[in-house]
Amino acid sequence: MEGKKKRLLVLYASQTGNAMDAAERVGREAEHGGCPSVEVLSMDHFDPNSLPNESAIVFVVSTTGQGDPPDSMKVFWRFLLRRNLGCSWLEGLHYAVFGLGDSGYQKYNFAAKKLDKRLQDLGARSIIEKGLGDDQHPSGYEGALDPWLMSLWKTLNHINPILLPEMSEILHPTMRKLEHPKFKIVYHASTEATQHDSHISDLKDVKNMIERARSMSPSLHGHDHGEPHYLLKMVKNEQLTKGDDGRNVRQFILEALASVIEYQVGDVLDVLPGQNSASVDAFVKRCKLDPDSYITIEPWSGEKDSLDEYVNGSSDHPIQLRTFISRAMDIASASPRRYFFEVMSYYASAEHEKEKLQYFASPEGRDDLYQYNQKEHRTVLEVLEDFSSVELPFEWLVQLVPPLKKRSFSISSSPLAHPNQVHLTVSVVSSVTPFKRNRYGLCSSWLAGLDPKKDGEVLVPSWIQRGTLPIPPPMVPLILIGPGTGCAPFKAFIEERAMQNLVEPTAPILFFFGCRTRDTDFLYKDFWLAQSSDEGVLSEKKGGGFYVAFSREQERKVYVQHKIREESARVWRLLDGGAAIYLAGSSTKMPADVTEALEEVVAKENCVSRESAARWLKTIEKAGRFNIETWS
Amino acid sequence: MALFLTDEVSLPLRAIRDLGSEGLKQEEALVVTQCGLLGGKLSFGDASFDTVFVIWSKIDNLSDQWVSEISRVLKPGAEVVLQASSLSDNQVKPSSHIERKLLISGFVDVQSIDSTQSVLVRGKKASWSTGSSFPLKKTTNALPKIQLSDESDLIDEDSLLTEEDLKKPELPVVGDCEVGSTRKACKNCTCGRAEAEEKVEKLSLTAEQITNPQSACGNCSLGDAFRCGGCPYRGLPAFKLGEKVTLGADFLTADI
Repeated sequence: MEGKKKRLLVLYASQTGNAMDAAERVGREAEHGGCPSVEVLSMDHFDPNSLPNESAIVFVVSTTGQGDPPDSMKVFWRFLLRRNLGCSWLEGLHYAVFGLGDSGYQKYNFAAKKLDKRLQDLGARSIIEKGLGDDQHPSGYEGALDPWLMSLWKTLNHINPILLPEMSEILHPTMRKLEHPKFKIVYHASTEATQHDSHISDLKDVKNMIERARSMSPSLHGHDHGEPHYLLKMVKNEQLTKGDDGRNVRQFILEALASVIEYQVGDVLDVLPGQNSASVDAFVKRCKLDPDSYITIEPWSGEKDSLDEYVNGSSDHPIQLRTFISRAMDIASASPRRYFFEVMSYYASAEHEKEKLQYFASPEGRDDLYQYNQKEHRTVLEVLEDFSSVELPFEWLVQLVPPLKKRSFSISSSPLAHPNQVHLTVSVVSSVTPFKRNRYGLCSSWLAGLDPKKDGEVLVPSWIQRGTLPIPPPMVPLILIGPGTGCAPFKAFIEERAMQNLVEPTAPILFFFGCRTRDTDFLYKDFWLAQSSDEGVLSEKKGGGFYVAFSREQERKVYVQHKIREESARVWRLLDGGAAIYLAGSSTKMPADVTEALEEVVAKENCVSRESAARWLKTIEKAGRFNIETWS
Repeated sequence: MALFLTDEVSLPLRAIRDLGSEGLKQEEALVVTQCGLLGGKLSFGDASFDTVFVIWSKIDNLSDQWVSEISRVLKPGAEVVLQASSLSDNQVKPSSHIERKLLISGFVDVQSIDSTQSVLVRGKKASWSTGSSFPLKKTTNALPKIQLSDESDLIDEDSLLTEEDLKKPELPVVGDCEVGSTRKACKNCTCGRAEAEEKVEKLSLTAEQITNPQSACGNCSLGDAFRCGGCPYRGLPAFKLGEKVTLGADFLTADI
């Protein structure tokens, strides 16, 4: 077909970065195979209208826990679902789909499966059958990706040999030279740069410095949201759980110093964690860097090949190297990817290290790499210490070290009840690896370690973002289901309604909470009980209620879904009155279990079939009356 | 009531008349100029306007925050009309860019008209929202009817799945090098399996092995990447043979 682009396009939809890594690998391998033109793009940077102009596309898509596509795919996908596209719209397009998912979920790889079918229905031709990566596999998604890619290249080479003229390089890689890094580091004389940083004392400058550091990071580019909205101070840091099963759920109360915090219930606080200063120093020392030098990061050649949307004006504001590392590079928490090990192998001077790194980067070594790296939650610093002969240039570190990510927390306070404060309910993440090492969540443990009395100057860079839960108007009855830390946004809703109730009539709230036992982790017990009095917003007399499932107080496990079934009549009465259902929490199976229980309630109270009830629930979901926010 | 938003210093009456139409009287229009200085916020209440017209010269300045503010002040079912010059730094057609922003924020019926000089994009705020009431006619054995705005221009995506897809997925077969584990615990395991997997035998190094570590194979001191599967030093950082081994006192392994 005339005018079609003769290139390989790799489009990915990534939620946590895995699909992006996989997509970049596809692109790299195509380049090794001599493909004349390859571009790797996130779906939200590609106009679906242009799909018919392409000749070959590889799609790499993740499926999230609820069977949904990643956020970056939502608009693209909506476009593809249009009825008016017609069944020959994508005629002439060769494509392949690789999905990343988890077979522990019912809706396994749904995004990839639906995409594959839809593309076919629109007239495109699949090069090979869709590949399905599975987190449950011993070596994760790469277990499926390796053989699938090999099959893809072979078939593609058969269909269209021009695309991969050096196919043999993929099949039997020779002692390949390492490609050049994508970026270069420009060092600036300190005099021109220090003017910017000499006044870092007031909050405005701190916020600006954080933005500058992060906007310069190539991996964060396009995904960050500018300056922190606030630099918050921890005023209270309290453990809510008791007992010694090691669980540590805490309440953090944060205040703004020189501004008023504006937010609404249902909003989420994005936090940029601080990194341990000693870790940053160790990294600087290990990599033989000059922490005080001033740098900017620019594309390698200045050519606009696949870096069309690169950061503007980064060369205007050099940033101190140590600041860049500390604010934008995750050196002591996230694990590096396979490609990191591959690049390291080129820079290892000790033979046994070089061999081991090459092994880890190969398909044969994939499982062992998974054991050593991902399962052990190996950090960048640890890997560099384990392979001490490797001297990686800073250019490569900038490209390959995982970016320091913000973490999101549902806000558990109402601004009406706590003006100018933000409350968070956070479970401090901790686990033990197969090799018996303790690992802690970077952000949750950093926050947990902030002592309001001693760490007064430590500020928490924060952003307020809209969450996915729509704000409930005061006259809409609510059915809230939030076991464990899922209660966080609902504490906010309930506080808000209690305040609204002082000045106007409000509709009742039915709240289902779940925890293990009343003595260890019955979070905010006094608050809920106070609101359950006859005058409170959770009052049974007024049509609401408060029910707790204690999972470990008896032989069999009792969860929120059991309580929902018990209160079937009450639940239906509220739903019939126009109630909106909200579900929040951190369990994988919980949303599915609760939905099932709700279907049973609707079916039972109306004497209709489960299927009708399920359809009805789907309809109210589309109408915005059934909202789910879960996190992992 | 209509709202006109512009980022210019002033808005010519002609522009209001051109876009307004349908006999819009001047008293029924509110104009806000220099929107760039507002920091993405409007001081109007929710659902106050029947139409919002956005006439901006720099359409790249239309942030997601602006779009959600516009959505907020619109009544459900009401319309937004955007007019902008065609010039944009974005490679993608400016109208698609705007359309995408509107779609992401929940607008429906988004359409656009491109011309050489300018683009015109229209969208409707969804007519359903939390709190709107629906008539509930409770007949026997029938569930309350829920009204939705008509979304028949999209196919039903669940129809893309086959019977096979809807069945519970099969878990991958694991080779017996993974002794004892047929399936990993879920990420948020509540049944206790994750804890069981973490419970491994206590560290079994003798005092001698700690103060004077030796290695027959030569690999024990090199770090986890090189150690054998059964190495007693597994989990510890690299060390030097003959020198006392540090056990987790190192901040690197404690990881706080």
